[in-house]
Amino acid sequence: MKLMDMTIPRHNNHAFEMRPVPKELVLELLNHAVWAPNHKLREPWRFIYIPYSGKPDWFDKKVPAQLVVTLKSDNSTNRQNEDLAAVFCLIQNFKLLAWERRLGVNVTFHEWMYVPEYCRRLGIPDKEKVAAVLDLAFYSDILETSLTTPSTLNVSSLQ
Amino acid sequence: MSLRTLIRERRSIRKFNDEPVSQEVVMNLLQKADQLCAYNGDVRWRYLYAGTFEERERLADCITAKILGNRLAKITLGTVINPLRKWIIKVPANLIAIVKTDLDPVKHNEAYGTLCRILQNFQLLAWEQRLGMVWITSQPIIQNDVFYNQIGLQEDEQFVALLQIGYFDKAPKGRERTSAECFMTELATK
Repeated sequence: MKLMDMTIPRHNNHAFEMRPVPKELVLELLNHAVWAPNHKLREPWRFIYIPYSGKPDWFDKKVPAQLVVTLKSDNSTNRQNEDLAAVFCLIQNFKLLAWERRLGVNVTFHEWMYVPEYCRRLGIPDKEKVAAVLDLAFYSDILETSLTTPSTLNVSSLQ
Repeated sequence: MSLRTLIRERRSIRKFNDEPVSQEVVMNLLQKADQLCAYNGDVRWRYLYAGTFEERERLADCITAKILGNRLAKITLGTVINPLRKWIIKVPANLIAIVKTDLDPVKHNEAYGTLCRILQNFQLLAWEQRLGMVWITSQPIIQNDVFYNQIGLQEDEQFVALLQIGYFDKAPKGRERTSAECFMTELATK
C-alpha cells in the first residue's frame, strides 16, 4: 500500500488490547526506523524498553508496554534542536511501521520527563534527556477508524 | 514500494534538476503528511512557501540580508553573495516550518515533536513521488536574527526547518545505521 493511501486513526483509549508487546518486534521496527535523517549521522537516539512487569509506579498502568526515547543533551541549542528533530523523525517512522503490524504507538509527553530525579530512577544518565514516551499497545480487532478531519494548512507565500 | 523500503531508501537530496515543482503537488503532500500524524490538539505551527521566481529571490534576500547589513561582512564576504543567491534561487521549491513556542515544556515539546513528525511524513510522501529534499537547520547563514526578522518570525515563534525541495537525477548512497540493539536498555522486572 502506498503511504499516500494509508490512514491512521487518532488515538482512542478503548481500541487497544492488554496483551504483551514483544521486545523483538520493537527492535525489528526500530531497525528500519533508524533510517531517519539525522545530521552528521550522530544517531542521537537511545531507547528504554519497558514491559508491563518492569513498569515504574508513576507510569500509565493501562498500557501493556512503553518505549522511552531519550537523546544526548547538547549545550548547543542548534545541535540539540537538530538531534531532537532527528529523534522525532525516527519516532514517526516507528509509528508508521508499527501501524502496519497493528501496533498502536501513542507519542506522549509528561512533566516528570523534565525532573532529573524521575529520569535517574529509569536509569537515564544525567547527560541525556527524554524526548517522548511511546505508549505501545496492539489494536483490538474491532477498530473504529475515526477519520481525522483534515486541518487547514497554515501556509503563506514568502514575502 | 513497501513502507520499510520507502523509509530505508529515502535520502537527503541537495542537488536538484530543472524539472519544475508544482505548488499544488507540494501542498497535497503536506496535507497528507499532516493527516498521517493523527495528532490531537491545536495546530501550533505554520509554513512559508517560496516557489515562484519572485518568492525564491525574496528568500535569497532574506538569507543574504545579514551579510549585506554588516559593512565588514559585506567587504569580506562580497564575492560569496552572488554565488549564494544563485544557489538559493536555483532550488525549485522551499518550505519553511515554524512552531509557536510555549513556556510549558510539555506543550512546547509536543508541538515541536508533532511538527517534526509531520515533516518526516512529508519527506517520505515526497520520496514516494520521486520528489527529494533536504532539511536545513545547521547553516550559520540561516540560524540568525536577521534572517528570522526578514521572514517575519514572531517573538513567540521558533524556526524549525528550511526544506529545499526538487526533483533529482541521482540519489546519494545511504550511510549504514547502527542497529537499534546497541542503543536499547530494558527496565528489569521489579
